[in-house]
Amino acid sequence: MLLFRSEEHASNWSAVWNQPFGSLLSLEQVWGLAQAWYGEDRRRPEWRRKTLDEAREIFAGLGLTSSFWKL
Amino acid sequence: MNAMSRLTARIDDNVRELVFDALLSTGVAPSRAEVAAQASLPESQIAGSFERLEEGHVFVLQPQSRELLMANPFSARPTPFRVSAGAKAWWGNCIWDALGIIAMTGKDGDLQTSCPDCGEGFTLQVRDGKLLAAETIAHFTVPAAHWWDDIVFT
Repeated sequence: MLLFRSEEHASNWSAVWNQPFGSLLSLEQVWGLAQAWYGEDRRRPEWRRKTLDEAREIFAGLGLTSSFWKL
Repeated sequence: MNAMSRLTARIDDNVRELVFDALLSTGVAPSRAEVAAQASLPESQIAGSFERLEEGHVFVLQPQSRELLMANPFSARPTPFRVSAGAKAWWGNCIWDALGIIAMTGKDGDLQTSCPDCGEGFTLQVRDGKLLAAETIAHFTVPAAHWWDDIVFT
């Protein structure tokens, strides 16, 4: 999960390193993921990992609905 | 849940709290020995807890030493994602986790990284809960359903 100058740079990198071209996200989408996933205090005893349904809801809320995001 | 399960769950909650507290306050991942001293438990109990927390996808351990490699969103080792907030600094595992560290602190923060294709450096800034605009795009290589096949490479 890396940050590139542009789609072209992500595409170049994928080709050079023989990696599949995956999913592109805007900065706003990544910030949304970061806030939803890590906004809670993981020191609290009652903290638990997100359930599959919670994760699916977060992805859908950020418009991440392609097969790449299927859980 | 029987008595033994309740006890190990309590130990794991305590270990999780100590590890994240150390990371948030110092930027450095504690060793098993340091967690054991703080928890007043034998190191063998902390080793068992680290393994259970890895199995539960809360920690990722180094393959040989079994010390911490990741306590997401934090990396115990240097990465290309350097995060700072106030006088403190951390390493993030990826762009998502690096921004997650800033989200977790709830403070203004900066993230330094660079384009893996051309090396151009970026500093992303979060101010008052908002990520300031920058001409960049994130790329996720591995589909969501396979992230935990090899969490070190996603």
